[in-house]
Amino acid sequence: MSELKDCPLQFHDFKSVDHLKVCPRYTAVLARSEDDGIGIEELDTLQLELETLLSSASRRLRVLEAETQILTDWQDKKGDRRFLKLGRDHELGAPPKHGKPKKQKLEGKAGHGPGPGPGRPKSKNLQPKIQEYEFTDDPIDVPRIPKNDAPNRFWASVEPYCADITSEEVRTLEELLKPPEDEAEHYKGWVPSFPQIPPLGKHYSQRWAQEDLLEEQKDGARAAAVADKKKGLMGPLTELDTKDVDALLKKSEAQHEQPEDGCPFGALTQRLLQALVEENIISPMEDSPIPDMSGKESGADGASTSPRNQNKPFSVPHTKSLESRIKEELIAQGLLESEDRPAEDSEDEVLAELRKRQAELKALSAHNRTKKHDLLRLAKEEVSRQELRQRVRMADNEVMDAFRKIMAARQKKRTPTKKEKDQAWKTLKERESILKLLDG
Amino acid sequence: MALVSADSRIAELLTELHQLIKQTQEERSRSEHNLVNIQKTHERMQTENKISPYYRTKLRGLYTTAKADAEAECNILRKALDKIAEIKSLLEERRIAAKIAGLYNDSEPPRKTMRRGVLMTLLQQSAMTLPLWIGKPGDKPPPLCGAIPASGDYVARPGDKVAARVKAVDGDEQWILAEVVSYSHATNKYCAPGCIQPFPPFVCRYEVDDIDEEGKERHTLSRRRVIPLPQWKANPETDPEALFQKEQLVLALYPQTTCFYRALIHAPPQRPQDDYSVLFEDTSYADGYSPPLNVAQRYVVACKEPKKK
Repeated sequence: MSELKDCPLQFHDFKSVDHLKVCPRYTAVLARSEDDGIGIEELDTLQLELETLLSSASRRLRVLEAETQILTDWQDKKGDRRFLKLGRDHELGAPPKHGKPKKQKLEGKAGHGPGPGPGRPKSKNLQPKIQEYEFTDDPIDVPRIPKNDAPNRFWASVEPYCADITSEEVRTLEELLKPPEDEAEHYKGWVPSFPQIPPLGKHYSQRWAQEDLLEEQKDGARAAAVADKKKGLMGPLTELDTKDVDALLKKSEAQHEQPEDGCPFGALTQRLLQALVEENIISPMEDSPIPDMSGKESGADGASTSPRNQNKPFSVPHTKSLESRIKEELIAQGLLESEDRPAEDSEDEVLAELRKRQAELKALSAHNRTKKHDLLRLAKEEVSRQELRQRVRMADNEVMDAFRKIMAARQKKRTPTKKEKDQAWKTLKERESILKLLDG
Repeated sequence: MALVSADSRIAELLTELHQLIKQTQEERSRSEHNLVNIQKTHERMQTENKISPYYRTKLRGLYTTAKADAEAECNILRKALDKIAEIKSLLEERRIAAKIAGLYNDSEPPRKTMRRGVLMTLLQQSAMTLPLWIGKPGDKPPPLCGAIPASGDYVARPGDKVAARVKAVDGDEQWILAEVVSYSHATNKYCAPGCIQPFPPFVCRYEVDDIDEEGKERHTLSRRRVIPLPQWKANPETDPEALFQKEQLVLALYPQTTCFYRALIHAPPQRPQDDYSVLFEDTSYADGYSPPLNVAQRYVVACKEPKKK
């Protein structure tokens, strides 16, 4: 049963013309008896009304014809589908010898499939069963056919896994393996040879500040140049280059940048001091001790902590060497573990992440490569086995031929000739040898 | 005498028509029943969501019966319409006979000139009662149905209406509405007895009468100056190809006159009784065309002249 939405019919509304409303003269004439008859003057109106009736009737006729045509076509279409189905099942019943050619055969030839091959008893049984299905369905109804699609679909889905390996596929595998060897340089930074991660460049804030400043200078210079061109003077800022800009920037930074509350001293130094100095979380009322304390600290630390503003450029390198000496001392004492990597890297989390990921990728690509090698090896083996199997099939055919000849001879009630017997034996032996090769 | 027998014949025909009409109605009421059945089946099929083969076969059967009924109804209706046409042609013959008889009868006053209004009403009526062409499925509209031109060798019969190009008294050429009086296939037209004319091959001449008696009454014209008017209306619902399409150049009768002028089709009729809507060429308007005016199918013919003379 097909769904309503599939129905191509249009369910026209076949109502005949309501002559009482539309054709008054006609109605009037009908009502009259024969004796009264029709007047000549009524002819015109009658003609018009009859024409209306006729046109509606002929329209109805046309529509009815169209709808019956649709109905008949619909029936016929269903019938055709059935035949197509039968043909398709023939194809699938045949053994899937070759992957691709078979797919092409599947498409639409409502005709003859190749005969079931000798090496596939399964398919032989399948085919008659499908045919039986078709025949039992005929008397009941056509739409049953789609149910039998399942075995076709199953075989189609399994096919990619059972099909023979072609040399093309082997070649693809080989090509897949090549890139790591040839194109390492081409893929710079990709699998598997990771070049060094480039060193950190200038920090972006500095770079951007630099660039912005340059831009502004340029703009100013351009404006000034335009203005000056009229005057014929050159402004003071027109010939700046990066070095000057850098100097400018550093100056401004130096002015702005009071290191936050902390000292210019390294982290280890600070920690050491913190450990040595008592913590004085002092309430705001006792102001005096702090400056004294801090003053004392600064004094205790020696010349390195002189008032900042004056000794700024001085203290920076000094603090660094202090830091490194403390570090060495602590390592020597065994209080601190030595770290292999360079100091900068310990603080660079991004770099650390990058390296982690790279290591993972390296491992993964190595794994992939081994798997590809294995696959290639297996594929090659399988190809050789396929060839052997092909030879077995041919040998089978020859054996069958010999068998048939002998049977024919026996039918004709004569003993098979020596030649035939020899041939039969030969083919049999050949087949056995190939099989041995295959299994061995 | 002839008139009297025509009358009785007409009376006969009228009775036959009456019978036919009654038969038509019987047929229609019979097929009504089947149509109701079809309607019910449609409803049932639409409420159930599936279409079983049972319904399909049943519907087919119903459709076939309905088709047979519709065909029968069509046949009877056609017979009735033919009967009407027969009666009308008889009436027409009678009229022409009367006209000819009147010509020879000098005692009668010259033809009573019709008032303009009466003439216009007559024209309108004639347009309305032009028979509608309703073809059977598969029939093509014949020549002289709507826009379908006459076949090459068609000769208008006496009594047919035509558009004729005549020379007016002041020398202007105009297409007028005229009625064919006679057609002579002879080698010469009317000439006074006794004069000898040369023998030109195939000079065919129409004699036409101006519908409007105010103008010169009888003209003698060659075939190419005469365009027969359509004898059937085309049904827009079944034969739209037999209608003039939008923007086509035609000769149309200007409303309330008896002359044809060039015009462009503005819109073809939607229903069988509708008129064409046309734009007449008129230099008194800005864009060169009048506003859309309605002209009946009967008074619209194809225009062959390439440019206005």
